[in-house]
Amino acid sequence: MGRFSDFLIALGFMKKKVNILCVGLDNSGKTTIINSLNPNKVDNGMIVPTIGFSIETFSKSKLNLTVIDMSGQGRYRDLWEHYYVDVDAVIFVVDSSDKIRTCVAKDELEQMLNHKDLKKRKIPILFFANKNDIEDSMSVADCSNALGLNNVKTKNWYICSCNGLTGDGILTGFNWLIGIIKKILI
Amino acid sequence: MMMQKKDEDTDGDMFQRIDKSTVLQEARAFNEYPINPKKCQQILTKILYLLAHSEVFATAEATETFFSITKLFQSKDIPLRQMVYLTIKELSTIAEDVIMVTSSLVKDINSTSETIYRANAIRALCKITDSSMLQSIERFLKQAIVDKNPSVASAALVSSHHLFNKNKEVVKRWINEVQEAANSRGLATQYHAVGLMYLIKQHDRMAVIKMIQNYSSGLRSPYAYCMLVRYIAKILDEEDIDGNARGLYEILEGFLRHKNDMIVYEAARAICNMKNVTSKELYPAVSALQLMLVNPKVSLRFAAIRTLNKLSLTHPQAIVSCNLDIENLITDSNRSIATFAITTLLKTGNEASVDRLMKQISGFMSEIADEFKIIVVDAIRALCLKFPQKQTMMLNFLASILRDEGGYEYKKAIVDAIFDIVQSIPESREFAFSYLCEFIEDCEFTKLSVRILHLLGAEGPEVSQPSQYIRYIYNRIILENSTIRAAATSALAKFAIKIPELRERIKVLLTRCLEDVDDEVRDRASLYLRILDDEELCKKYIVNENTYSLNYLESSLQEYLEDEALRKTAFDISKVPIITKAQEKSEQLRIKTKTAGILASSAMNSAREPSPKKSAMAESIDPQQQYAMEMEAIPQLAALGKLFTSSTLTPLTELETEYVVGCVKHIFQEAIVFQFNVRNTLNDSVLENVSIVMDIASQDDENIDLLQPLYCIPCNQLLYDQPEKIYVVYKRPQQYTPSVTFSCLLKFIVKDCDPTTGEIDSEGFEDEYQLEDLELSIGDYVAPAFIINFQKAWDEIGDANEVVETYMLTAATSLKKAISSVIDMLGMTPCENSDIVEDRANTHALLLTGTFVGGIPCIARARMIYESSTGVTLELTVRSPVRAVCEILSNAIN
Repeated sequence: MGRFSDFLIALGFMKKKVNILCVGLDNSGKTTIINSLNPNKVDNGMIVPTIGFSIETFSKSKLNLTVIDMSGQGRYRDLWEHYYVDVDAVIFVVDSSDKIRTCVAKDELEQMLNHKDLKKRKIPILFFANKNDIEDSMSVADCSNALGLNNVKTKNWYICSCNGLTGDGILTGFNWLIGIIKKILI
Repeated sequence: MMMQKKDEDTDGDMFQRIDKSTVLQEARAFNEYPINPKKCQQILTKILYLLAHSEVFATAEATETFFSITKLFQSKDIPLRQMVYLTIKELSTIAEDVIMVTSSLVKDINSTSETIYRANAIRALCKITDSSMLQSIERFLKQAIVDKNPSVASAALVSSHHLFNKNKEVVKRWINEVQEAANSRGLATQYHAVGLMYLIKQHDRMAVIKMIQNYSSGLRSPYAYCMLVRYIAKILDEEDIDGNARGLYEILEGFLRHKNDMIVYEAARAICNMKNVTSKELYPAVSALQLMLVNPKVSLRFAAIRTLNKLSLTHPQAIVSCNLDIENLITDSNRSIATFAITTLLKTGNEASVDRLMKQISGFMSEIADEFKIIVVDAIRALCLKFPQKQTMMLNFLASILRDEGGYEYKKAIVDAIFDIVQSIPESREFAFSYLCEFIEDCEFTKLSVRILHLLGAEGPEVSQPSQYIRYIYNRIILENSTIRAAATSALAKFAIKIPELRERIKVLLTRCLEDVDDEVRDRASLYLRILDDEELCKKYIVNENTYSLNYLESSLQEYLEDEALRKTAFDISKVPIITKAQEKSEQLRIKTKTAGILASSAMNSAREPSPKKSAMAESIDPQQQYAMEMEAIPQLAALGKLFTSSTLTPLTELETEYVVGCVKHIFQEAIVFQFNVRNTLNDSVLENVSIVMDIASQDDENIDLLQPLYCIPCNQLLYDQPEKIYVVYKRPQQYTPSVTFSCLLKFIVKDCDPTTGEIDSEGFEDEYQLEDLELSIGDYVAPAFIINFQKAWDEIGDANEVVETYMLTAATSLKKAISSVIDMLGMTPCENSDIVEDRANTHALLLTGTFVGGIPCIARARMIYESSTGVTLELTVRSPVRAVCEILSNAIN
C-alpha cells in the first residue's frame, strides 16, 4: 500500500482494508453470523452448508472488510491453513449447545494457534458462543473453560455469547474486534 | 506507468522466456493486497500457457497455486475473474481439494442476472464437481438451464452434457428443464438442449423418434435442425425400413425445402446415405444437391459434389440427371471440386462420353496435387475395367501420365492400375508391357521397378514376341542398383525357363551376371544357371504353381523368433500349408475388394490426411485372420488345424439386455467351433465361471449323433463392460455337413460388486440366462471365393454334376429381399455385381461362387422371376466337381 493511500486513510478519506477469517466446526453458525454482519445481504432464511469457502466483502465502521467464511465440515478443516497468511483477525464460532464436540473445537483451536503462519503474529481472535437461545446451552464461562482459553496468553482474545438468528450479542463482540483492529493497524 | 510501458515493449515475446518456477514465484502476488488485476491476469495467462504446452505441474505445486488463486475471488474485476475460472478448470484435474471453491462458484452463479461471468462459473463448477457433490449443486444447475440469459443456459446445458457421462441418473432427472430450454429463444441454447435431450434419451428409440417428430418444426436454430437430421440418419441406419422410418423419411424430405442451405444439405446427405434407398426416394435429394452445384458459394458446391461422388459409387444411375451441371464444374477454379466432378463423371459416364472426358482430364491433370491425381487414376482404372474396349485409350493416358513428374504414391497408383488392367484384360498385355518397359528405363523408384520386373518375368514369356523385353531387362542389369539387378536376373531366368528357344542366349547374359559386384545378384545368377541345366529342377522351382500361404508363414516365423525354446531347433516349413497360386490370387482379390470400400472413402479425405492409405490398411485387417490368430493362441483350439471359414457375428440377445451375447461360427476340417462374445452390461455384478450349454433343438437329419460335443472353454471372470470369449467345440466327421438349430443357455455364478470401487462380494449364486436359438445352416460351411470371370469358371467346371432345383419363395416380397436371403442361405459370394438389381426389374440372374468345406469349389446361378401375386420363383443351378456338394447346396434353400 502506497504512502499516499496511508495518508488518505489517516485523514479518513479512504477506508482501510481488513481481512477476517471466520472458522469453527460445522453447523456452528458461521455463515449466519457473517450474513447478519453484512449490510448488503438480505436474509432469506436459506442457509446451506458451505462447501469449501466463500468470500464476502462489505464495509462497516469505516473499514473495508473481506471476510473469508470457511466451511467447518471435517474434510475441509485441513484447508483452513491455506488462508492464515495475511489475516488481520480471526472469528472463531462455537456452538454452545453442542457440549460433546467442544473438545473437537478445542483441538482445532490449538492446531490453529500453533500454526506457523499465526503463532508469531499478534492478531485478535473473537470467540462467539453461538446459539445462546437454546435451552441447556453453555454459558460464556463454561465455553471459555471448555476451550481452555485461559491458557491462550499470546493472543488478544474476547469471548461473547450471541444468537446468530436474531443478531443478539453479535455487535458487542464485533465492536470489540473493530476497536482492536483500529488500534493495531492505524 | 513504467510497468505498462515495459509490458507493451515485451508483449510479443512475453511467452518466450517463461519457465514454471518463475511463474510459480510470481503467483505469490495473488496473496498481496490490494490485488492488482492486470498483473494477476498476466500471471494466470502464463500459467495457462504453461499448462497448454504440457508443462507438468506436480500435485503439490498445483494445489498451492490453486489455493492462492482462490484468494482472487475477492476481486470484482470481471476479466480477472474469468481468467480465474479458466485456470481453475485447467487445474481441476491436477490440484487436490479443488472442491474448495464450490460455494464461491455457487455464489457467483446466483449473483444478479447481469453479471457477465455466471456462464464461466457454471463451466468451472461442473469441472470441479465429482459425483458425490453433484447432488448438492443439482438445484443450481437446474435453475441455470432454464435461465433467461442464453449464455448461462447454454453453459449449463453443455456442462450437463459433460456430466452425463459419469452421472447418468442425476442428469436424467433434469429432462423437464432441458425441454423448457429447447423452447427458449437463444439459438445456441436450443442446439445444446436438443443435443442433451438426445443424449438422455438415446437408448430409447421410441423416445428419440418422438422427440424428432416433436421438434421437426418450430425450432429456430439451424444447428439444432442439423442435429435432428443426423439423429434421423442414425435411426434409419440402425433399423430396417418400416412404418416409423417412412415417417422419418418424410421429415427429411420436408427439410429439403427449408430456407437454410445447411439444413437442406444435411437432409440431402442423410437421404443419400440411407440404406436400401430407392431411386424415387433419392430423386428429391439429388435435385436439391443439383441446385447447390450451381450455387456461388464454394463450400456448398464442394459439399454437394462430394456427396454426389459418394452416391455415384452405389447409385450411379440416380446422378445421370446432374451430369450436365457436373461437367460445368470440371472447369471450376477450385481444384478439389473439379477433381470430384471428374471422378463422379467417370463413374456415371457411359461409353460415348468417355472419350470427351478423357480429353478434358488430360488438360487438367497437370494442375492438381498428387493426392487428387491418385483419385483420378483410381477412377480411370475402375472405368477401364467397366469398358474393356476403351483400354487402348486408357492405357495411352496412363502411360502419358506415367511419364510426367510425380511422387511415389502417385506412380504406384498408376502402376497398380496398369497391373489390374493387365490382370483382367489379357488383350492389353502387350501394350501395357511396352509402356512399363519404357517406364523402368527411367524410373527413380526401386520398389516399382522390382514389381514391374517381376510382372514381366511372370507374364512376359506368354505374349507373342517375348524376346523384345529381354533387352529392356538386361539394360537394368547394366545400369541399375543391386536390388533391381537381382530382380532383373530373376526375370531373365523366367524367360529362359519358359521359352526354350531363348534359353541359350539368356544363359550368356546370366553368365555375365556372375561377375556382378553384388552378392545377391551373383547368387541368383549362379542358382538359375544351375537350374536351367536340369529340366526337373526347372519344374520344381520356377514353373511351380504352388506357394506357401504367406500370411501363415509370416505368423509362424514370428512365433518362431519370439519363442526361445523353439529356436533351438530348425524352423519346420512343412507345417506351413501350401496353396496354389490361383488360391493366393483369389485371396488377395478378396482382401482388395473388402478394402476397396474403405479406401474409396479415405481417398476422398486424402487431401487432408497425410497418409490415408496407411490408416485404411490398418483398419482393414481381415476379421477371419484375426479370429484365426485368436484361436491359435488357445492350445486346445490350435490343435484343430487350420480355420476354413468363419461366419459373421449373429446376435443372440437384444442389445439392451443385462448380458449381450453374440456368436461366430468357425468351421474347421473336422470340427465346428462356436465362439460366443459375451459382455456384461451391469456395473454392480461380476460373473464367474461363465459357460455356455448348447443343446440340439431340432434337426432334419437322422445321423445327427455324428455331431458330438467335445468341450467348452469357459470364461473365468466376466467384469463389467469387458467383453470376453467363450468357445464351444463340436466334433464333425469330414464329409458331414448337417444343418441344425441349437438352443443356448448361459450358465454362471453371479456375484455382487461395488460399481465405484470394483470390490467383489465373496458370496455368489448360480444363475442361468436363456439365449436365442442359434442356427447352423449350409451357408456356414461355404467360404467366400472371388473370381473375375464367372462365365469362364462356369464353363470350366462343366455340367457333369449339375443339379437344378426350383423353389417358390412366397415370403420374399421383392427381388432384393430374395437375393439377400439366397446369399445368406448359401453363404456364397455374388459375382460381377449381380447382387444389385434394378428397381423395377421383374427378373434377375444372381451369380454366386464359393468354396465348400474341404476346399471344393462350387458355383451357382440363381434365376429369379418376381410376380406380385406369387412372390419370387427361383431356379437354382449348382455346379461343382463333387456331386454331393451340388446336392447339398441345391437343397439348402428353405
